[in-house]
Amino acid sequence: MSTQLKCKESLEETEGNIDAAQQTAQGRVITVAVAGNPNSGKSTLINAIAGTRLHVGNWAGVTVEKKEAQLEYAGRKIRLVDLPGTYSLSPYTQEEIVARDYLVNERPDLIVNVVDATNLERNLYLTVQLLELGIPVVMALNIYDEAQAKGYEIDVEGIEKMLGVAVVPTSATKKTGLDELFKSVLAAADDLAGHMPRKLIYGEDIEAAAEQVADELRHRNLPLSGRYPQRWLLLKLMEEDSHVLEQMKLDRLDFLYQALHHLKKAHGDDMESIMADARYSLASGLTREVLQKPELRQMELTEKIDRIVLNRFLGIPIFLGAMWLLFKLTFDLSAPFGGWIGAMTEGPFKRWASALLLPLGAPDWTVSLVNDGVIAGVGSVLVFVPVIFAMMFFITFLEGSGYMARAAFVMDRTMHSIGLHGKSFIPMLLGFGCNVPGIYATRTLENPKDKVLTALLVPLMSCGARLPVYVVFVSAFFPNNSSTVIWSLYVMGILLAVLMGLLFKRTLFRGEAPMFIMELPPYRMPSFSSLCVHTWEKGKHFLFKAGTYIFAVSILVWFLLNLPWGVQHKRDSYLGQAGAVVAPVFQPLGFGNWEAASSLISGVIAKEIVVGTMGEIYAPQKDEKGEVPTLKEDLKEIAVSFGAACNKAVKTLFYLPVPEEKEKDRSSLRHALQGVFTPLSSYAFMVFVLLYMPCVVAIAAMRQEFGTWKWAVVGLVYQTMLAWSAALIIYQGGSFLGFGG
Amino acid sequence: MIPLGILGAGECGEIVEILLGKTETSAVRGELEKTAIRVEDMGIRVGRSVEMLKNGGGTVLLRVDESRIAIARRMAMKIMVRR
Repeated sequence: MSTQLKCKESLEETEGNIDAAQQTAQGRVITVAVAGNPNSGKSTLINAIAGTRLHVGNWAGVTVEKKEAQLEYAGRKIRLVDLPGTYSLSPYTQEEIVARDYLVNERPDLIVNVVDATNLERNLYLTVQLLELGIPVVMALNIYDEAQAKGYEIDVEGIEKMLGVAVVPTSATKKTGLDELFKSVLAAADDLAGHMPRKLIYGEDIEAAAEQVADELRHRNLPLSGRYPQRWLLLKLMEEDSHVLEQMKLDRLDFLYQALHHLKKAHGDDMESIMADARYSLASGLTREVLQKPELRQMELTEKIDRIVLNRFLGIPIFLGAMWLLFKLTFDLSAPFGGWIGAMTEGPFKRWASALLLPLGAPDWTVSLVNDGVIAGVGSVLVFVPVIFAMMFFITFLEGSGYMARAAFVMDRTMHSIGLHGKSFIPMLLGFGCNVPGIYATRTLENPKDKVLTALLVPLMSCGARLPVYVVFVSAFFPNNSSTVIWSLYVMGILLAVLMGLLFKRTLFRGEAPMFIMELPPYRMPSFSSLCVHTWEKGKHFLFKAGTYIFAVSILVWFLLNLPWGVQHKRDSYLGQAGAVVAPVFQPLGFGNWEAASSLISGVIAKEIVVGTMGEIYAPQKDEKGEVPTLKEDLKEIAVSFGAACNKAVKTLFYLPVPEEKEKDRSSLRHALQGVFTPLSSYAFMVFVLLYMPCVVAIAAMRQEFGTWKWAVVGLVYQTMLAWSAALIIYQGGSFLGFGG
Repeated sequence: MIPLGILGAGECGEIVEILLGKTETSAVRGELEKTAIRVEDMGIRVGRSVEMLKNGGGTVLLRVDESRIAIARRMAMKIMVRR
């Protein structure tokens, strides 16, 4: 009874839909879903439109990225919802399910369908499916400039006439056609009923069968049928779509069997294939009608580049070279700015904090908490913001330029040999920036086994947060070959991932690796603004972590270091005591001191905290300088040193000599470390930091991604064991070979 | 009719048939079918002509229209083409 009632209500709702939609014209927010193929320039288009107004989150329940933006155009409020890029709406990948569920259940007012003009047929296949939904569609015929450059002639009006949708040629990279696109969107929003897409005819026999099924449906008065667009529901039932059947709680399909039996027999195929073929013939027929291609196809730049980049012998060396360049650019460009931020927090910020707090009568311990806890802790992390943003920038460049997909292709063979998919490479690569997005990126893999195995190996990729630890140690112990030492750690992570992959493949994950399918997009020069937007999206994870999480932890660590009250020596503090308890475990690894152990304990929260804690443990005694600079002098110094940092970054990049200057920041920590560690034990320590348990955030990500603690725990245990063994081998082996001094 | 997977680089062929599950066990067959649907969604389907761009290793690179799609050789061997 209640289902019946519900059904009626929802029926009315659908009928009332158009009225409600017309109110849109009077100032309600217009919801526009943006759908399109991967590589159709959809995200570039969204960025060009929304820029920094984009809000990035996740679709409920799954870890597919959801982008939204609220904007105003000509005084009208528009809510853009970016759907994941899909080739189809068949429910086989998580992206497809998300896109489809959104369109069917949330019913946006409009769909903007981004279509790659250089790949019409395949893109129109998705368009045909979108038109089934009974939602007005505006087509952005994107990459139109490139299609024209190729000599394609596209009959834009022809598409409009045949599909009954507005078509606007656009170029997201050149930002052309966006105004017209918005105008079409508003025009359609003002008259939704008048912009309902045309019903496409799928062929006589299919339509005849559809008529029969529709009749049956009318007789049966199925519950919930009003929830779905009628045409779409009909076609999905005919396809025997398992999701729809399940949602409608239909298990008996006798009436379908009757209607479809004939069709199946005539085509000698299953319904899903018959329907897919019908849609595809529509797409390809339409393409034939509207597209004129030049007789001779030119060999494109993309193909020329691919000949070299994907060459059997050159592919991997080029890939390694690209990675080396990535790191070189990242570090050379960002290091001076990191130094600048460091100098700023060490000097002026602490002075300002004291100047503010002392006149207020704040007790000494508060000043110490703020200076040595908060400013020193967060500051030592902020120092690395330039490095992380620079790395994210170049990774984004690799993604946007199209090289990232080639890297996956080139690496497929190697990845395959450790039981992984070539695509697993991308989460791994992202892991270099931060393991957390790397773990989330495993969702691009279809096979659950691949996902888990990849996520277990991602933390072996040395993330940006481990870099601060290396930088401090390397500058103290290996100032002359800093890049080489850091590079060796990255390589070690990769080699161990290969080793562990092989091991896991033989033990936990037996069986054949799934098949590789991937599109290699054409090479494109990503626009600077879209690079910046994406860099920001990736980097802000780190920034906010530094801002909130690490802020809290810094305070906690300060308390642990300064409690019990009146503790004289840091060793007697709670953290020092805990470190002292654990320290013997690290004795054979060459760093069995309480300072190192305490830092490692706090580093479980996030690995960059290792440096923060060390900074606090070895915090320099405040040496009273004779003259305290005024606020004005401080501000001037900040500006001047920023200019110097820019200058230095440019010069290092081009190998120009940089005048040696005395670096004040961190020198005290460096000196302290030189007294405790040897070069060999510092290397063992860095290896340990590289490998030991993933940070809490990464563990949480694994828990979220797989819905169970099991794999997070597996990762935690195996990594810590691996870290201990590797550091042991390095320290003991190194001592044996005489590098101990 | 020959398998797509044996076309040399630079050769073109028109897809005639995608063979599925004639000899495989049901588990492998399920995976193949799923892969076949994804491949078809990307435009590699009966009637289309494709060009082999690169053949060697476990993955082949095809050109379909203006897109380049890499697929596992195992799948490419199931796609029958006419030169």
